[in-house]
Amino acid sequence: MDATFSLLTMTGASAMLLLALAVLWRHHVPAYITAFRMQSVALAFVGAVVAWFGDVSELFLVAALILALKGWIVPRILARMEARRPGDRGLHPLVNTEMSLLLSGGLAVAAYEISRPVAEVISLPTRGGLPLALALILVSLFIVVSRRQVIAQIVGFLMLENGIALLALLGAYGVPLVVELGVFLDVLLGVLVMQALVPGMGEPSAG
Amino acid sequence: MTTVVLAAAELLFLAILAPAVVGYVRWLKARLQSRRGADLFQPYREFRKTFAKGMVIADTASWLFHLAPYVVVASTVAAAVLVPVFSASQAGDQFGDLFALMALLILGTMFLALGGLDPGTAFGGMGSSREMTVAALTEPTLAIAVLALALTAGSSSLGVITGTLLTTPANAIGPGHALAFAAFLIAMLAETGRLPVDNPATHLELTMIHEAMILEYSGPYLALLEWAAALKLTLLLTLAANLFVPWGMATSVGAAALAFGLVVVVAKIAVLATLLALLETRVAKLRLFRVPELLAVSFTLALLAATSSFFTR
Amino acid sequence: MDSILLIALLAPPMFAAAVAILARRAPVGAVWFDAAAMPVSAGAAAAIALRLAAGGAPLVIGTAWRLDALSALLALLVSVVATLAAWLGPGLERRGGVPGTEIRHFRIYANLFASTMLMAVSTSNLGVMWVAIEATTVTSALLIPLRRTKPALDASWKYLLICSVGIALAFAGTVLAFVDYATTGGDLELALNWTTLRTAAPSLHPEVAQLAFVFLLVGFGTKAGLAPTHTWLPDAHSEAPAQLSAVMSGVLLAVALYAVARWKAIIDLAIGPAFTDTMLLVVGMATVVVGSVSLLSQTYYKRMLAYSSIEHMGLACVGLALGPLGVFAALLHLTGHALAKSTAFLLSGRVYARYRSGKIGAVSGLLDTAPATGVLFAATLFALAGLPPFSLFLSEILIVQAAWRTAHGVVTALVLVLILLAFASLVTHLQRMLFGKAGRDEAGRDVLRGERASVPLGILALPVVLLAWIGVMLPAPLRMLLTYAAEVVRP
Repeated sequence: MDATFSLLTMTGASAMLLLALAVLWRHHVPAYITAFRMQSVALAFVGAVVAWFGDVSELFLVAALILALKGWIVPRILARMEARRPGDRGLHPLVNTEMSLLLSGGLAVAAYEISRPVAEVISLPTRGGLPLALALILVSLFIVVSRRQVIAQIVGFLMLENGIALLALLGAYGVPLVVELGVFLDVLLGVLVMQALVPGMGEPSAG
Repeated sequence: MTTVVLAAAELLFLAILAPAVVGYVRWLKARLQSRRGADLFQPYREFRKTFAKGMVIADTASWLFHLAPYVVVASTVAAAVLVPVFSASQAGDQFGDLFALMALLILGTMFLALGGLDPGTAFGGMGSSREMTVAALTEPTLAIAVLALALTAGSSSLGVITGTLLTTPANAIGPGHALAFAAFLIAMLAETGRLPVDNPATHLELTMIHEAMILEYSGPYLALLEWAAALKLTLLLTLAANLFVPWGMATSVGAAALAFGLVVVVAKIAVLATLLALLETRVAKLRLFRVPELLAVSFTLALLAATSSFFTR
Repeated sequence: MDSILLIALLAPPMFAAAVAILARRAPVGAVWFDAAAMPVSAGAAAAIALRLAAGGAPLVIGTAWRLDALSALLALLVSVVATLAAWLGPGLERRGGVPGTEIRHFRIYANLFASTMLMAVSTSNLGVMWVAIEATTVTSALLIPLRRTKPALDASWKYLLICSVGIALAFAGTVLAFVDYATTGGDLELALNWTTLRTAAPSLHPEVAQLAFVFLLVGFGTKAGLAPTHTWLPDAHSEAPAQLSAVMSGVLLAVALYAVARWKAIIDLAIGPAFTDTMLLVVGMATVVVGSVSLLSQTYYKRMLAYSSIEHMGLACVGLALGPLGVFAALLHLTGHALAKSTAFLLSGRVYARYRSGKIGAVSGLLDTAPATGVLFAATLFALAGLPPFSLFLSEILIVQAAWRTAHGVVTALVLVLILLAFASLVTHLQRMLFGKAGRDEAGRDVLRGERASVPLGILALPVVLLAWIGVMLPAPLRMLLTYAAEVVRP
């Protein structure tokens, strides 16, 4: 029982990390949006698994919200934003593909090392996936810092949020519902504000 | 004593099977492209024909040009000894482990590249430099992908890895195993010069990597190099099959078990070769500067697999 | 009584925002409502602060709201600065010219911004505090491009992205602390309550607590303008309208440091103060270096004020790391900085209105053309440079003293040098603006000379007087409030 629980969450977490790597590999924005959408579906899957095996029924609601908000609404907003910014196509990332991938491999190793004390402390069956959540956080941070296309930066930020949500799910079966709802609201508002700002901008840099 | 006999038998098996594998892939690709295609044994006939031909050696070629085919063949044969084929009795382990395998493969690649450079032709040099770019990423990837399995098994000997997986199948469940397999397959495509990295059937010199290096060779030298390439493909396919999906290998030295193991390994190679043919028909060749990106992906996958194996020992 | 005070504190800005949303036809009415409502909030904050300064117990309402001395101090600063911005915001000028949409826009988002900050400091749930601080980013990002110019949009984007990423990292830290607490088997419902975590702190695991604090410091530090994630600050604060810059520079940065201080209080009980002190010292010193050194080469006065904010936040951060006296000094510093910086930005708005240029070089002869503004601007810049009799002089001296007492000799010397450097830069830039012949403005017209006494000037003179009074006398209620607030962070 525990083994299946652990295996399912590990698979979901690995899928999420690999989809973040897909953003570093592919060059076109629709691929980024698809990667984010699939990553959110994987996150909802992990949430549902934790809700089922960990016996935390409010996580079913959270998983459904993740699916609705990050799996459907936000990708649609992003797709509309992408259609309005054709000039971004020529912007190349600050770090090229090979170095990005190698660096993210390094970040994953670092994440394993950093999360060792945390994994030792936690006794839940999901703790195997904790390093993957931390790796996802670090890789998303790297995506935000090294991409010059606006949509890529936003996707990186959203993946960062996904990573933290994964950390909460695997580490403590989710945070209290109030905070979770607050986070959803913040993310939605953030994306809406970003969408409002983007059309008037020139070429931005995340300095 | 039996282990030496077994190792020799496995080597002979691989050596004889190699051209058939290449022939099978070519035939299947032809069929998928609505052509009739030459049969499975055409590569054997080609070898016999090419061996009998005379050689034309460039004036600018040196001793390196003559040495290279022998070194390539020798290193590939030595690497083939290390690979567990149809028996799980770890026959090849007394000769070397995963690191020896990688060293032998890179030795062969290096001399092939030197042989391409030696006559001083433009295409040869171009092929050699491309090959080294690709090899720089594939060799570590192959090594680290197998290392991920070695870390779980606790030993770097290929036979031990296979044996451990046979006895504890639970090790194979988990994303680490799948990631290592994916990384191994991508690196194998690059190492053996198949699509999407290099088109083995191309006649356009500017798109060649492997073929460009052997452009100057003719006669017996060419036959040896072609056969070594076929053997490399076969041994890597066998390695992929047996390291990641070892079930079916003979765990005892009885005749029945060995025969069964033989049939199973032929079947596994056939499945992998079919998938290879399907993939080659489906994808187009990647532009050269995109190849390192693909290889970086496979390297990262291998690194992730090894990291998760290392930290969850 | 307690609930009434809390509602009087939190409700006015929310009501003002609602009125501004509804008043499409009469934006000026919304403006007057705003100007009348905000002092109510400030008054409530003052009442709570006085009560706590006299030694009263923290204001607790249910499990969600808790105002101790630290919260009361920040609430007071936020509400006072927000009131100043409301009184001096667009819509109340004698000569009109500001479009109605702009006025409404400002009133809606500025009030939402103020209410999120007030919520952040009055809640006892650290998760809700996080949500509120994230909301401050969203509401202020919409307000920076009030006039939709490209630099303003770019600056707003940079602000939104960097601060959102930073805040997300702070959330990661919050989650790590939550996870750690969950392993101790405590009540998960109240897990993110500050008091609960404080009581449970000794049983938290050291490495996890350290990791959590690193994330929290980087995350909330981004919002506070600490190095190395301060890069959004100069752009955002210089492109925003003057009243927004006043609030952002004056109190938003302080609220972010408040969040760091709240978490420090918990983590210190888990692993002892040495780790957090070291981290705060390193980050703080780096920030002061960045701020002070950058001040030398500034050519735009609003950017100059922004870098000055970075320097002062760095000093406050350093103060937090220097023991009880240091924390007292840091909180006094935040108080003085809130008053001085907000007034400075509001005055810079007046300078811009006169000279139509943001460049220091384009502004000359300020004492000639607008003497009252010039004098007040000089006073605030002197205050920011750390000159007596203003309170920032006192707080900087105390920080140096705290560094000396805790045997950080290098820090003491470095801080003194950097303060001196900042002083020199600010005074040099100020001198170029005050003296000389009044030139032509951006459109080539002669700059308007002379200045009449007016209500806004009178309002702007008040903080300056207050700064001097605090600096000279440090009135007892404030001193007690600061002492109790410091005890919350470093008992």
